Amino acid sequence: MKEKEKTTKEILAEEIATGERIPLYSPAALENIRRLSDGWMLSTVREKDRENWLKTPRTVLGSNIPREMLYTPLSHPDFDYQKDLGNSGEAPFTRGIHTNMYRGREFTMRQLTGFGSPEDTNGRMKFMLDHGATGLNILFDIPTIQMYDSDDPFSQGQVGMSGVCVDSVEDMAILFKDIRLDEITVSLVTHYPSNTAILFPMFLALAEERGIPWEKLRGSVQNDTTLEEVIRSGAEFIAPRDCFRIQSDNIEFIRKNVPQWNFITLNGYNLREFGTSGVTEMAVAVANGIATLEEMKRRGYDVDTVADRLSFFWSPASDFFEEVARLRAVRRLWYKIMKYRFHAKNSRSMWMRCHVQTSGVSLVRQEPLNNVIRAAYHALSAVLGGAQSLHIDSYDEAYSVPTEEAALLSLRTQQILQEETGISDVVDPLGGSYYIETLTSDIERRILDEVDEIEQKGGYVVVIESGQLHRKISSYFYNQQKEIEKGNIKIVAYNRYRSEAVPPPINVFRYPEGVEERQRGKLAKLRLSRDNEKVGAALMALKEACRKGENILPLSVACARARCTEGELFKVFKETFGLWKPPALF
Amino acid sequence: MAKKIKVLLAKLGLDVHNRGIITVAKALCDVGMEIVYIGNSLPREIVQTAIQEGVDVIGVSSLGGAHLTLGQPLMDVARQENLTDSVVFVIGGVFPPDDTLRLKEIGYNAVFTPGATRDEIVLSIQGLVEKKIA
Repeated sequence: MKEKEKTTKEILAEEIATGERIPLYSPAALENIRRLSDGWMLSTVREKDRENWLKTPRTVLGSNIPREMLYTPLSHPDFDYQKDLGNSGEAPFTRGIHTNMYRGREFTMRQLTGFGSPEDTNGRMKFMLDHGATGLNILFDIPTIQMYDSDDPFSQGQVGMSGVCVDSVEDMAILFKDIRLDEITVSLVTHYPSNTAILFPMFLALAEERGIPWEKLRGSVQNDTTLEEVIRSGAEFIAPRDCFRIQSDNIEFIRKNVPQWNFITLNGYNLREFGTSGVTEMAVAVANGIATLEEMKRRGYDVDTVADRLSFFWSPASDFFEEVARLRAVRRLWYKIMKYRFHAKNSRSMWMRCHVQTSGVSLVRQEPLNNVIRAAYHALSAVLGGAQSLHIDSYDEAYSVPTEEAALLSLRTQQILQEETGISDVVDPLGGSYYIETLTSDIERRILDEVDEIEQKGGYVVVIESGQLHRKISSYFYNQQKEIEKGNIKIVAYNRYRSEAVPPPINVFRYPEGVEERQRGKLAKLRLSRDNEKVGAALMALKEACRKGENILPLSVACARARCTEGELFKVFKETFGLWKPPALF
Repeated sequence: MAKKIKVLLAKLGLDVHNRGIITVAKALCDVGMEIVYIGNSLPREIVQTAIQEGVDVIGVSSLGGAHLTLGQPLMDVARQENLTDSVVFVIGGVFPPDDTLRLKEIGYNAVFTPGATRDEIVLSIQGLVEKKIA
C-alpha cells in the first residue's frame, strides 16, 4: 500500500526538529528577565491590565490574533538569530530577499491604470510615466476580464468600465502605442488562467509584430485559479481542474518562451478583499504555490526552473504590525517550503517576491479624504515588510474609478514615502523588535496550520471544487459585517465620530462617452477584414489541443496572430471543457 | 403571520464583485425572506425571472460602473411589463453621488452605497413592500 503522503507541515516539523537551535538569550539572561518581570507584574502593572494582558485587535480584514500588553524576550524565549532571522538576502530571508533591499532597488511604483478605450488608457499610462511611475499595471474592463467581446450582448453597457477593453491584438497595439515593450516592465492584470491564456498571447503577438524578441519582455500576468473560481462572480465557469490545467499550461509555455516574465502571481490580494483574514489570504496563495510546483514536477520540470519566477500579491489592511509581520512570516515560510519540501537548490527559487496593493475594501465613502491616510499607513506597513512593488489605492474608490488627480495623489504618496521619509535606507528596520519577531513567528505558524488544513482536505484544487473555500470566505465576511455594524470593529467617520455635516462635493471620475460604439465598429471591421479561414483553422487547432491535453498556449498565440477575438477563444474553452457551477453561498 | 417577502437578487451584467450581494442575501434570509439569486444577468432576463417567480422585490448589484447603462434598461423593461407598481426595485453598489439621485429618478425605490448596514437594507425593503402592496 502506498504510504500516505506527508503534509507540508509534517515535512517542515521533521526537518526543523533535526536542527539544533542557538537561542539568542542565555538561560541566565532569561531567568533574570523572568524574575524582573514577575516582580514588575505584581508591583507595577495594574490589576486590570494584568487580567486583560492579552488583547485582540478588531480590525477590518484582521486575523484576530491576541496581543500581549508588552513584549519582552520572554515572549519568544528560544529566538535564534540565524534560524529565525538571518541577515538580509540570506536564508531564511525574514529580513528581505535582497541584501541591500531598497538601497539597491527602490520598490517599483506600479499604479493600476485602465478605463475606456485602449486610446484612453494609453493616454493615462503616459501621464503616469511622465510623473515618475516606474512600472505599468494594466487593468482590463469587465467584459474583457470575463472574456466576452465588446459586441457580445452580455457586454452591453459595460465596455470600458473598471478597466480598458481589449478584444484582439489590434487593441493591444493601440494600448501600447509609443510605449517601449523592451524597456518598461508591464504588469497585465489578466486575473484568471483562462484570460491569461487569451490576452497574454495577444501581447506576445504584438511584440513579435514590432520585432521585439520575447526574451526581452519583462513583466507579469496574474494567472490565478483562486481568482477565476472562488472570487469571481460570473455567468459561466469552467471547472476548477480545467482552470488549474490552463494555469499550468500558461506557466509551462511562458517559462520556456518568455524567460524574464513572471508567469503567475499567486494572488492573495483579491481573496482577502473578497473578505478574509490576512492568514487565510496567505495560506491559500501558498497552497496554490505548492500545488503548482507539484504539477510542474509531474510535467517533468525541475523545481528550480519554475520556482524562481513565482511571485505573490498581497493586500495590507489596517492592523499595522500584523501587516509588517505577515510579509516577514510568509517570506520565511516560503523559504522553508522551498528548501525542505521541494529541495530547491537555487536561492532565488526560495524568494517570496511580492507586489502589494493597499486594501480597497478598507476605504470608506464617508469623508473620502480620510482614505488618503488609511492607504498611506497600509503602504508604510508594506514597505516596512519588504515588498518589491506597490500600488496605492485612491481615496475616491468608494465612488468610482480614480480621477487623474486622485491617481496622481496615490503616486505622490509613494514618492513621498520613498524620497522624503528615509524609510528605504535601512533594511528591515523593525527586525529584532520583541513584538514583531513574536508576531512573525505566530503568524507563520497560523499560515502553516491553514495550509495544513487545506492539504488534509485533499489539497488546493479539491477545497475549491468542494466549495469549502468559498464557504469559509463567505462566513468570514458575513461575520465581519456584523462586527462592523455592532461597532466592535471601529471605522472613523463611519461608526465612530460620524459627522452629520453635509460633506463638500467630491470630484468624481466620469467614463469617456461612446467607447462601446467605437469598439463595436472596430470589431465589425476586424471581423470583415481578417482572413476568416485562418481564424477558423486557428480556433479548431486550439479546440484539439484543449481536448488532447496538450499545452494550449502555442495554439492560442496562433489565434492571436490570426486576429481571433477574446470571446472566440473563451467559446472554445466553454465548448471543450464544459461549464461548472460554483457553490451557492447562502 | 404575514406572507414571506420574496426577493429576486441579481448581479447586473458581468460585474465580478459579489461580496455585497451575498451579504445582502444572507441578511434577507436571516429575517425570513425568500431569496431567488440568479447571479450575473441582463435586464430582460432579470425581469422575466421576476415575473415567473412572482417576486415582491428585485434587488440588483453593480460595482463596475454599469449601474445606469444597465440599470436604466432594467427599469425600461420593467415598465413595459407593468411591474413598477407592484414590485419594489432596489440597487446597491459603488456609485458617484449624482448617480445615486439619478437612480432614484429613474425608478429605483432604494439605492444603497458602501457602508449601508444590514438593518438599513432590511427595514427599507420591508417598508417599501408594505407601502407598495397597501
